[in-house]
Amino acid sequence: MASPSPKSPGQISDKSKKYDRQLRLWGDHGQTALESANVCLINATATGTEILKSLVLPGIGSFTIVDGALVTGEDAGNNFFLDHSKIGKPRAHVATQLLMELNSDVKGDYIEETCDQLLSNNPDFFCSFSVVIATGLTEKSLHSLSSNLWQNNVPLVVSVSYGFTGSIRLQVSELCIIESHPDNLLEDLRLDKPFPGLKEFMDTIKLPEMNHKQFSHTPYLVLLYKALEIWNDRHGPNPPSNYKEKEILRNIIKSELGYGIVKEEDSNSGDEENVAEAIKAVNTALTKTQVPSNVQKILNDDQCIRLKEKNSFWIIARAVKEFVEKEGNGVLPLRGSLPDMTSDSQRYIALQNVYREQASKDAEHVWRHVQTILKERGWAGESVIENDVKLFCRHSSELRMIRGSCLAEELDGKQLPPDVDINQQLEEPDSPWLHYLLLRAVNKFHTENGSFPGYYDDNVETDIAKLKGCFSRLLNDLGCQGGSLSKDDNLHEMCRYGAAELHAVAAFIGGCAAQEVIKLITKQYVPLDNTFIFNSVTSTTATLRL
Amino acid sequence: MADVNVAPSLLDDSIRKSKILVVGAGGIGCELLKNLVLSGFNDILVIDLDTIDVSNLNRQFLFQKEHVGKSKAVIARESALGFNPNVTIVAKHDSVMNSEYNVTFFKQFTVVMNALDNRAARSHVNRMCLAANVPLIESGTAGYLGQVTAIRKGLSECYDCNPKAGQKSFPGCTIRNTPSEPIHCIVWAKHLFNQLFGEADPDEDVSPDTADPEAAGDAGSVALQNQASEAGNVTRVSTRAWAQQSEYDPSKLFGKFFCDDIKYLLSMDKLWTKRTPPTPLSWDNIPEEISDQQGGLIKDQKVWSPAECVQAMVSSIKILYQRSKELNGEESFLVWDKDDEASMDFVTACSNLRSHVFSIPKKSRFDVKAMAGNIIPAIATTNAVIAGLIVFEAFKILEGKWEECRHVYLNSKPNALNKVIAPSSLDSANPKCYVCSPHPEVTVLLNVSQMTVQSFEDKVLRGALHMISPDVMVDDGKGTVLISSEEGETTENMSKSLSDFNISDGTRLRCEDFHQEYDLNITIIDREHLEENREFTVIADPSQLQPKAAVESSGPQPSTSSSKPAPSTRATESVEIDEDLDVIFQKGCANDDHQQEPSIRKRSISGQADIGSASKKLRLSENDIIEL
Repeated sequence: MASPSPKSPGQISDKSKKYDRQLRLWGDHGQTALESANVCLINATATGTEILKSLVLPGIGSFTIVDGALVTGEDAGNNFFLDHSKIGKPRAHVATQLLMELNSDVKGDYIEETCDQLLSNNPDFFCSFSVVIATGLTEKSLHSLSSNLWQNNVPLVVSVSYGFTGSIRLQVSELCIIESHPDNLLEDLRLDKPFPGLKEFMDTIKLPEMNHKQFSHTPYLVLLYKALEIWNDRHGPNPPSNYKEKEILRNIIKSELGYGIVKEEDSNSGDEENVAEAIKAVNTALTKTQVPSNVQKILNDDQCIRLKEKNSFWIIARAVKEFVEKEGNGVLPLRGSLPDMTSDSQRYIALQNVYREQASKDAEHVWRHVQTILKERGWAGESVIENDVKLFCRHSSELRMIRGSCLAEELDGKQLPPDVDINQQLEEPDSPWLHYLLLRAVNKFHTENGSFPGYYDDNVETDIAKLKGCFSRLLNDLGCQGGSLSKDDNLHEMCRYGAAELHAVAAFIGGCAAQEVIKLITKQYVPLDNTFIFNSVTSTTATLRL
Repeated sequence: MADVNVAPSLLDDSIRKSKILVVGAGGIGCELLKNLVLSGFNDILVIDLDTIDVSNLNRQFLFQKEHVGKSKAVIARESALGFNPNVTIVAKHDSVMNSEYNVTFFKQFTVVMNALDNRAARSHVNRMCLAANVPLIESGTAGYLGQVTAIRKGLSECYDCNPKAGQKSFPGCTIRNTPSEPIHCIVWAKHLFNQLFGEADPDEDVSPDTADPEAAGDAGSVALQNQASEAGNVTRVSTRAWAQQSEYDPSKLFGKFFCDDIKYLLSMDKLWTKRTPPTPLSWDNIPEEISDQQGGLIKDQKVWSPAECVQAMVSSIKILYQRSKELNGEESFLVWDKDDEASMDFVTACSNLRSHVFSIPKKSRFDVKAMAGNIIPAIATTNAVIAGLIVFEAFKILEGKWEECRHVYLNSKPNALNKVIAPSSLDSANPKCYVCSPHPEVTVLLNVSQMTVQSFEDKVLRGALHMISPDVMVDDGKGTVLISSEEGETTENMSKSLSDFNISDGTRLRCEDFHQEYDLNITIIDREHLEENREFTVIADPSQLQPKAAVESSGPQPSTSSSKPAPSTRATESVEIDEDLDVIFQKGCANDDHQQEPSIRKRSISGQADIGSASKKLRLSENDIIEL
């Protein structure tokens, strides 16, 4: 026995205590990514500060607020981080101070300039950020910002709270996700395509030579494998695929595997836990091992084949592609984990090691491909880390890639996505496309009139008429005949909002947008693609692809 | 232009005139308080009995480091007032279940908003709002998931209309004799902590259970004698007294729990005909097996080797023993706390050693903490979203647009219809609801000759049915009073069994909770044995006389109660929503159905196993709102 050491094997830092509840969602590496991220917020509106609040609390590395405005009475009314005593002071400065109070680990900075000023004076300013968040921008400023960030490959999140509605638009040219956290991830067991080490291990196990005790403590994977061998002898190489065939396999497990093994007097045949587990696993453990279509798409992507830039994701993806085509014989690197099962420790650990060893062999192959790729192209070796390769291999069946679209192009665009029947959409009372177009229409109104409809109480009637005009011209521009459709009630409602930012809407949109920013930064979970519309009156949301 | 102008002036007016009760100042509560103040609400009472913990700070933004240990309600009020001093916020550092918060108290509010973390309090507030006829907005979050729903007497389902599957407790024999999953060993290790250092509970014995029905008869006396001679007169003194005799010598403790007791279990050989028998560990020969080698993990997430477990056990026992020696008169025992390092090390080490003995997969300290502490992941973003949705429901209630209120689920990612948020119309009340129907009824299955009046009150009436101060009369024509809420009136009944009061199969009991203004008729069904060795089963709807739909007994499950002392006592604290989105442990005792799904299954709010919610989910996916 080792000499007693007073130190616990797991000393817990204050940080892990503070972040305990979220580490359970995105892990240490997600937290590290968050802590090294640097976000920029344009305009400290209620929605903007709500987003930053939900990023500062979980410990984002640093933030910078860009805002040329002074605090107004409206700000004090709807923004938690700006109160009446601060009216007339620079909004960027005040909000930064208060947001920093939320978490001493986070650095904050501010620039008292408008987005437009920065874009013209220092166009490279935004290049250094992990994500830029924009709120309260006019269509024109948004257009310039969007083009700038699209060119510089910096993700942009645009958030709007407008009366009782809101929207979030993600602009990201390409996002590659290794850990997508799918809901129903199947185990990677390879029973249909056993690798040599697995076959070797299984061949050493002879069920008929066991006594009952040994048999009943055999991992169920072994039982499945052995039953599948019997099945293959009788029915050919394809594993059972439908209910009837699976029943046959279940019967083999139930009555043939343990045949002839002498049971203790009072145990009934078939009631062994491992047999029950094997029977249950027939449905999930025998799915065909193949490269999933979303992963195949990534491996066949132009980026993967031509490998134009030195990007770690694509380099590893290319290496995986080569692995699949060579050593892998058409399948991805093995994940290397096993589900829990009834077994004695010894054989469970042995089986676990078989899977682990193969997984690490596979990852080793991929790592070597990576090095060859780097060498061939004269890229320095350290741009890819071996641990990243291991992580990539472990998650290779859940890879996801998103290619977004440029917001500036959407604003210039002359038509909506071809698969959307906008006329039909507009006939529905609460279509998300209607809310999307209404939000576009009020921006158009602002571009033409210099203020939002209904902003000045005495102009409401004339504003309604003008907004109607904007709306039907917008529809015409987009090539819809729907301009004749009467949406008067909705247009009245938009005027009534007067561009007001309701705090509860800002809180909701802020929470959702912050979550998307975290996804972009941690590269975990799949972000929305690409426009999110919210109507608080009906509590409905929808995602549109623009 | 001020934001509230957007709201129709009628709404604007009713917001200003309304008085709101916010129950809970945790994750949702902080966000909610901010949203209410900034939406124009200016008369708010917030109540929370909890104090601030470090692990709250990643989302409960009204609190900062220097507030740790202080009252959540008081600090939340201070922070919110610092921002807008023109509103009235009253803070109560108290349990909402205290008797001063009676129906009259509830009647003063326009809307009550629950931002709670436990079912007992939710159920209680639900009853108070029904009795006071005040609209209630109920909510909860867990990780990326959340839900909001409005409740109004007669107009919607109430919180208890769909009986919720209870927190699973494990049969004693599984914990003591035949663990098969990590959670069994973790529960055992927590019991061991209490036996050695905490408040000993006879229901939490950790030594082999000779009365295991499965081992019936065989094991035995021989083995018992062997043990007695090996380990001294163990069976005579309490575990704690025995440990004290050796001054908590780790090698002696180890020898008893991981060697002698295991040998004794092996002697009960009937237990091992179908199971993998345990392997006793020897203090002098701890296997130094290579533990889980997943690169790049921090220590907390590594699985400790048996030798590392022994180290941690030794060092944590040393600390805990020292601490228990320093206890002064008022507190005579330690309280297990998942956020206390030594307590967590002890449970991680002992549970994994037991797992090793029983060939059960070991768990990292990080995972053990989640399971032992019922930890639900929580982040700022989900709470922000849910608190926003609560306010929208409040707007509709204040405008009198009840028909527009929705039951809203927040999904972690777009559902099949591409919706992150899934609203559905409110269901009408369950006519057989044991809380909100005109004549509430439940059936309770139990063994009348074994269940004492005390257990009936504590476990059935308070524990499962969430009553606060029950009065119970036997419906025998004589008006026999079984339990009185007046102190001392029925003390002498408590240790008697139900059958002593001629309660038998089919007897009806009239229960009344004066505080909750709640009457309930209970029909007793006498069963000698219940499945999984449960003590009792509550069936809310007698037409479903099957155990699955039942509210189960919750064993060692402390919930928010008024008698909670110091902050370190809260086993379930800072769980944002502990039971609606529960970790459900399947599989039970030896005679259990082995076809059941092994291991832990996390269930989502929308996927509750009970019948009502299942149909709700179906409806959701069938005719959801906007198509995309």
